[in-house]
Amino acid sequence: MIKILAACGAGVNSSHQIKDALEREMGDRGYDVQCDAVMVKDITEDKISNYDIFTPIAKTDLGFTPSIPVIDAGPILYRIPAMAKPVYDKVEETIKDKGLK
Amino acid sequence: MQAEKEEPLFVEDTVYISSKTTAEEVIKEISDKLLEKGLVKPEFYENVIGREKDYPTGIDLGVVNKDLPNIAIPHTEGEFVNVRRVIPVHLENPVTFKNMIDPSSSMEVRFLFIILNNDPEGQSNILAQIMNFCTTISANDLGTFFKSTDTKAIYQFLNRSFADQDM
Repeated sequence: MIKILAACGAGVNSSHQIKDALEREMGDRGYDVQCDAVMVKDITEDKISNYDIFTPIAKTDLGFTPSIPVIDAGPILYRIPAMAKPVYDKVEETIKDKGLK
Repeated sequence: MQAEKEEPLFVEDTVYISSKTTAEEVIKEISDKLLEKGLVKPEFYENVIGREKDYPTGIDLGVVNKDLPNIAIPHTEGEFVNVRRVIPVHLENPVTFKNMIDPSSSMEVRFLFIILNNDPEGQSNILAQIMNFCTTISANDLGTFFKSTDTKAIYQFLNRSFADQDM
């Protein structure tokens, strides 16, 4: 299973939308993806090391350099396919490049 | 077994018009009204404002249609609210918010959807419904809606539009 960490300020709205969208789209593309939605302030180096890809709502200063690929997922929020597709494509490209399963 | 019915997202007596000119002023004004109604905790205001500084919520609708005004979706964690509801606020004056997906940029906002969410795992994603509303309603209808200062008309349009969504 591919594990993705989505994050936003409150962990209740935009990160959940990213989670729902990524799980649905990546599932449709044939990948077994589980995405967790959290508050940015709760992310530690230890926590992020349990995931394969980090998808914040915007460029985010975590106070450390993430050890996993980071993909800004903000455009997903608009729920406009043409805006979301580049984000989905980048996630899929990362899955392929890293050989994630 | 029948699914539990969710509370309505909009209630007519929590639709507001504000003439304030800064994000702090308008959020304070509305927070005080929501606190009076028992919809939020006393810490709601300071947490929304604090969060807005670190994780802003302005959304540029110019990418949807250049004629639409920008919106913002101020919110905070579920522990500071008592209900699951959206509070619409028409802004009579432009109010500056930073961009949610590019916090280094600012924009003038003319309408707020303040999200009270004490159930983030709920059946339907509130933000997704707001964005569906902003991207699927015709630009003409949205333009009229965003200009309206009639709280009853705002409530009725939102209630009807969100009820029609197939989430």
